[in-house]
Amino acid sequence: MSALAVARIDLKRLAVRPFAWTLAGIALAMMAWQFLLGVSAFIHAQPTVPGPASGPGYVDAVVAPYLLNYIQLCLVIAPLITMQALAGDRGAQRLALLAASGASGAQIVFGKFAARLVFLWLLLIIVATMPLVLGGATHPDWGQFGAALIASALCVAALTAIGIACSAFTSEPALAATAALLIGEGLSLIDAGVRISGGEGGWLGYFALHTHLEPAMRGLMRSEDIVYFLIVVALALALAIRRVGAERERG
Amino acid sequence: MASTPALLELDHVSRRLSGHPVLQDVSFSLSRDEVLGLLGVNGAGKSTTLAIIAGVLQPDAGSVRIDGKDVNDDARTLRDRIGWVPESVPLWPELTVAESLDACGRLRGLPKSARKTASERELGRLELNDIAQRLCGQLSLGQKRRVGLAQALLHEPDLLVLDEPGNGLDPVQAAQLRERIGKLKPKRGIILSSHDLAEVEAMCDRVVILHDGRVRHDAKLDASLDARRGKLDAQFRAIVSRPASVAA
Repeated sequence: MSALAVARIDLKRLAVRPFAWTLAGIALAMMAWQFLLGVSAFIHAQPTVPGPASGPGYVDAVVAPYLLNYIQLCLVIAPLITMQALAGDRGAQRLALLAASGASGAQIVFGKFAARLVFLWLLLIIVATMPLVLGGATHPDWGQFGAALIASALCVAALTAIGIACSAFTSEPALAATAALLIGEGLSLIDAGVRISGGEGGWLGYFALHTHLEPAMRGLMRSEDIVYFLIVVALALALAIRRVGAERERG
Repeated sequence: MASTPALLELDHVSRRLSGHPVLQDVSFSLSRDEVLGLLGVNGAGKSTTLAIIAGVLQPDAGSVRIDGKDVNDDARTLRDRIGWVPESVPLWPELTVAESLDACGRLRGLPKSARKTASERELGRLELNDIAQRLCGQLSLGQKRRVGLAQALLHEPDLLVLDEPGNGLDPVQAAQLRERIGKLKPKRGIILSSHDLAEVEAMCDRVVILHDGRVRHDAKLDASLDARRGKLDAQFRAIVSRPASVAA
């Protein structure tokens, strides 16, 4: 009950914050621009003489890169939307108020995580609506579309959980955002050097977000990718719960 | 015949913060219909004591009991019997006063109808109806304190814990607050910390003076306000001016 109550309070707070609306507005404007660029490139790449389709389809050429761009954007948005979650509340004694109301560390963390995740998933749904409106005209591979969307949703959940964990460990929201941004970028770029040189990522590649997003963007939903994102979420939330739970001992 | 346990009992409570002992072997009790003033200089351990009572901090040693039951044995139930207002009132600046009260009721697990009734009761009791639709972030300090008090009273707690309730208020607001706290006294125990000796003399039935994390004085105040006047000031000055080793 308390986790739901915490989530409702935070969603209400997000809904009336100009910061959240500004962030959503900027993100959607950037994604709309990306989408138009993608569609324009796709139209220009179409063969002028009719014949059997052989090149990449609408999902390969437009939707997958477009959703990957949203993930790139979330590397910045997720830290910004989560930085206040626990760090800001701690400074303003609101975390103590939640604890005094009987909410456990886990309930507080789950509530805060759920509220931010709903916000970022709503953004993802709006983002996904743009390519969907052309669905009737382009005959997309719906299976591939669905896999890409699920992987994006899981990746957003992982980035949100990382942001919540960083917010749990400090009283300075800016510090929390910076830490979450660095971790997110680190996971995004960890195998970049190996990839650029054309090699296999190896064990380093397993930690990279890219490794677990790419198969889904091609329509392949692997259980190991789902497990990877769930592990990141579980690990980050467990750390946050541990830190918030220790607040009573630490003072 | 067994005697009725006190509403609140602190039994040899100790607490260190950042390796420094903040509270050492603190014991006192509070009964129903009693207002207890916790006095002490800055850093004496008043806020830490109140945070431990509110369940926000865990004592390193000792126990806190409500009606004889250790708060750690049934934390959720016993915490529902406590209302806490810290020194800087925690409010959600983006929510209106009415929304804030509803949110607190939700956190306490009150059903919708009970939340509505409780919010209306507290808005009326603390004269907040005029500002019910104002954002908490736009309130004055006095109004914030009243909202904080309303949040703490929403679930009708038996024990009210107020940390420096009069801090930063002008004399008129402080007098109004004293009057409100006086009206809250029947059927519940109130413990408040303060720097203001006159405020404590006017509001409290008993006073505990903390110094260097230890209880140095625990006594009832004289029944008449005239008889109290000046005595507490002399006692307080004598205790806090003594070196810790002598006071111990």
